[in-house]
Formats: sequence, C-alpha cells, structure tokens
Amino acid sequence: MKQRLKIKDLFFVALYGVRARRGRAALTSIGIGIGIAAIVAVTGISASGRADLLATLESLGTNLIKASPQAGFFGTQEKLPDGVVGMVERIGPVEEVTSTTQTDLIVRRSDFISEFEGGGISTIVTSPELLQVVGGNLIEGRFIQDGLSNIPVTVLGSVTASRLGINTLETPTKILIGNEWFGVVGILDELKIHPDLDRSVFIGYGVAKTLFDIDKEPTTIYVRANPTYIEDVVEVIAPSMNPENPDQVQVSRPSDALEAQEAADAAFTNLLLGLGSVALLVGGVAIANVMVMSVLERRMEIGVRRSIGATRREIRYQFLLESIVLSGIGGLVGVVLGTGVTLGYTNYTDIVFSIPVSQVLGAILLALLIGAISGVYPAIKASKIQPAEAVRK
Amino acid sequence: MKSKQKTVIALKNISKIYEGPPQVKAIDELSLEIQEGDLVSIVGQSGSGKSTLLNMIGLLDTVTEGTVEIEGQDISSLSDNELSKFRGEKIGFIFQSFFLLPGLTAQENVAEGLLYQGIKREERLKKAAEVLEDVGLGDRITHQPKELSGGQQQRVAIARALVQDPAFILADEPTGNLDKESGMNILNILKELNKQGKTVVMITHNQEHAKKFKKVITLTDGKIVA
Repeated sequence: MKQRLKIKDLFFVALYGVRARRGRAALTSIGIGIGIAAIVAVTGISASGRADLLATLESLGTNLIKASPQAGFFGTQEKLPDGVVGMVERIGPVEEVTSTTQTDLIVRRSDFISEFEGGGISTIVTSPELLQVVGGNLIEGRFIQDGLSNIPVTVLGSVTASRLGINTLETPTKILIGNEWFGVVGILDELKIHPDLDRSVFIGYGVAKTLFDIDKEPTTIYVRANPTYIEDVVEVIAPSMNPENPDQVQVSRPSDALEAQEAADAAFTNLLLGLGSVALLVGGVAIANVMVMSVLERRMEIGVRRSIGATRREIRYQFLLESIVLSGIGGLVGVVLGTGVTLGYTNYTDIVFSIPVSQVLGAILLALLIGAISGVYPAIKASKIQPAEAVRK
Repeated sequence: MKSKQKTVIALKNISKIYEGPPQVKAIDELSLEIQEGDLVSIVGQSGSGKSTLLNMIGLLDTVTEGTVEIEGQDISSLSDNELSKFRGEKIGFIFQSFFLLPGLTAQENVAEGLLYQGIKREERLKKAAEVLEDVGLGDRITHQPKELSGGQQQRVAIARALVQDPAFILADEPTGNLDKESGMNILNILKELNKQGKTVVMITHNQEHAKKFKKVITLTDGKIVA
C-alpha cells in the first residue's frame, strides 16, 4: 500500500515529540553529544598532530640520511673507512654530505665538577657544513665557522645548554671539554629529528687535533639527497661506504624516528577513541531507555494518531525517526564541541589545526546510526500498542 | 423506512472477552445495526461494556467472537493498513478527555486529523481553520489546548474529527468532563451534524443526555437491554 504520510510530514511528526519535551530531549542527547565530541576531538587532535608533524618534516626535510658504523662487539665506537665522504659524494642524487667524529671527551660546567661526571653530554667534532646539512638553527651566536675551527670555542646543543644552565651568551662563558677550557660561541635551537645532537657540544677539527690529537676519522655522516631518489640512496649508501662489509654500516632516516613516535601516539589515540565509543554506546542505551518511557507516556498520542488513520508502520517510523533526530542533535552538538576542543588544543599547543571533513561526516553518520538502532525497539513497542488500549480513559 | 436506509455498521453476535485473571466478558453475544443517518446514544452504567462496544464499532479493537461488518464488508479480513485507512477516512472520534496534543495550536491539532491522508500541510492548516470557524472557534486557532476551556477543547476535538469529513462520528462520553452548559453545547453540535447527514453514535452514562438522541440503546453487563 502506498505510504500516505509524506516524508516531510513524517519529519514534522518526529520533531513534535522532540519539540514538546525540549529539556528532556537535550538531556537525552547529552550522551551521544559527549561520545561524538570525544571522537571528533581525539581524531581532530590526532590529525592536527599528524598535520603538524608533516609540516615539521616538510621543513626539516625527509631527505636527510644518517649513516654510522654498527656499534662494535663490545660497544666500542667504530670508525668509518678513510675517504668515506668522497665515496658518498659520488652517489648521483646526493646533494650534500658532511661528517662528524664522536669523541669520548667529558663535558663539564667547571673544574669544581669531577671529571668522571659527564652528565650524558657528548662531544662531537664537526665541520662547518653540519648546521646546514641537518637543517639546524642558532638561537644565539654562531656555529663552528671556518675561522673558528682551530681555536678552543664550542657550540652547544639545545639540551646541553639547558643542562649546563647557559641560556644566553651575553656574558662570556667557558666550559670544560676534556680538561681544556672552551669558550661558548653559539647555542643551537632544538633539532627535533636529531635528539643526539641536541645533547652534544660541537668543536672544530683543528682544535680537536691540536688539543686532543683526534684525527678526521668520521663516525657519522649526514647526507642530503634528492627526495625523489631517497630510497635508492638509502640502499646504495652502505655498500658505497664499506664495499667489503656493507652490513657494518647502519643507515637511517631521522624522519622515520618521528613517524615511529607518531605511531606510538596512535595507540593512545585508539584508547581514547575506544572511550569515546563507550560513551556513544551508553548514549545509545540512554536514548532507547528514554524512548521506551516516552512511548508508554504517549499512549494517548499514539491512540489519537491511530484513530485518525495512522497505520502501525507510520507510528513505527515516527518513533524511529524521533530517536534518530535525538541522536542527530547530539551528534551535531558533539561535532561542534569536538571541533572547539581541537581548536582550543591546537591554539594552546601552537600546532596546525586540522579536522578531516570525512571524520566529521562519519561522526554524524555514526550518531544517526546509533539513533536508528536505539529507536528500533521503542518504535516496535509503540506500533504494537492497541488503539483501544491507548485511548482508554 | 428502515429498509430504505443503508446499514453502515452491523455487529453480529459479537463477544469480547478480556483474558484475566479474572476473565471478563465485556460484550456478550451482542447484535446491533447502525443505519446511515442514525443519531444513536448508547447508555449504561460504568462497567456495562459501553466503551468496549464503541471500540468495536470504531475498529479500535477486535472482537473475540462474532463478526463486524462495515458497509457490508467483514472487517476481520482487513489488514492493519486497511483498518487504519478506514478509521482515518470514515470515522471521526471524539474522546471524553479530548486527547488534544499538547504543544500544538488548535489549528495544528485539527490539521493532524488530515495528516495521514496524504494532504499537503498548507492545505491541512487551511481546512483546519475553516472547520474551527464552523465550530465557533475561529478566534482561537492559534491557542494551545492549555489556553482553552474544557468546552473549547472539546470543540477543537470535534473539529479534528470533522476535518476529514467522516460519514460516521463516534463520541465516547464527550460531555463527561464538561460542565452542564458546555455539555449541552456539544450535544447540540452533534445533533446539528446529524442533521447535516452524519451518522452519530455517542456513549454516555448520562440518561438525560442520552434521551436527546433519536435512538437510545441501554447496555447492561455487555447485553442490550433496551
């Protein structure tokens, strides 16, 4: 039989129940609202974090490769073969190469500190190009430029600077490296993808040779390559550096580490999403519960509708749609709340704001679906009420 | 004269048993014919089965035994959809407690009477305003039920029953919740409708009201006694 109640009218009828009991409708929708808000906020914050990471990677570059020898059997620092920089430079897509030499020189703030208490700060001997290749910035001062290589000056990584309590270069400051005094000429900004460099001090090759007799034997090389061929470069870099034993060269992309960290965050995100889903489930049960009560309370209305010609199916649709409307209102409020929370969070932490439209639509659809599922039982219950019973005085 | 009239509703040996416990036989092998244009009141003590009988006549409930024929058709073969359609198009119900929907205006309440007929909202509202005018409430169309007196509410309910232009009006104690004057007013409206050609069946426990109708059926213990 043809549906006589028009779709538009069905909406009016479904809205009647919501309009007539606004306070109750608002309370009923809260559960769904909270659930959807949680889901939107969690996905929004996670997406914003991801967008921010991509922006960071974009600025730092994903085309940086780091290569170092595998740690020796007893944890000793292995050296790379002679002339390794030249070998790597000859790989086609490689744009820039620089090398550093890790030392075991202890860094101290002053000679009042025992020379056995290094504080986890390493000393790296470097050439001037390092700063550019790793994409670093100076907060203050300058890097080990060409003219500074031979004199006892040093540049601090960001973590080093705060550990030594040196936040400014306004007054000349000296620190002890090995047992020699070095003047601090620069402080680096956080490097993000090179936590090891943040925890280091840098000195030039010239002074390393004269004071500590350290030769230019690279322990790590940093390579910038054409991003298009980055995978290929990663593959050939080890055999190029050590053709006899390529296994002994460890090649990594620091940007991978950030992505791995992001993946770890994803696990936490999933946990929060799970909690959001629980809120939705509870919200759905709340709607079903209120709808069942509402059906019992509105027997008169059901009886009147039946007496003026409503079929069972039309009553069923009315209550089903009402449940969907309730849940949909919760969903919309949740989306607004969740977006607000994300906006607040991204503003507060100063990261890029990003909420995927698909996730917002998905959240609303989810709310509607929950409303539909929650409404099935009350709707069937309403349609089964006998008209005679419903209009009983 | 009776033979010329068309039988609208024929109840043949109907019984209605409410399975208890205790089991109650609300209608006991009752037969009744209502002709087109009748003005009938069904009177009886409370518990005599009047409301149950009205529900049978109004297709709001099913019989336990016997048959109900509407315009010659046995309704036991009709589906829920067909019964609903029948109620919507042919029967106008008036209830003791008015049963107006709270939160809707008088006009909207009356327009609800056409909701399930597939008529556009604007047209429903227009028709509702006309019928409200007919029952003397043209100046109250934007009022909500709680802003109207009992008699006015019952007139809105009558308008809702009339808006679908039914052939048949069923009133269940329509004056039960009203003062004497409003009650008389409602009775006069029902009589007027009958004059215009509608078949009217009213149940009441008020003998005085019942006597104002052409035909009075007295019910005791689910049986017609007079």
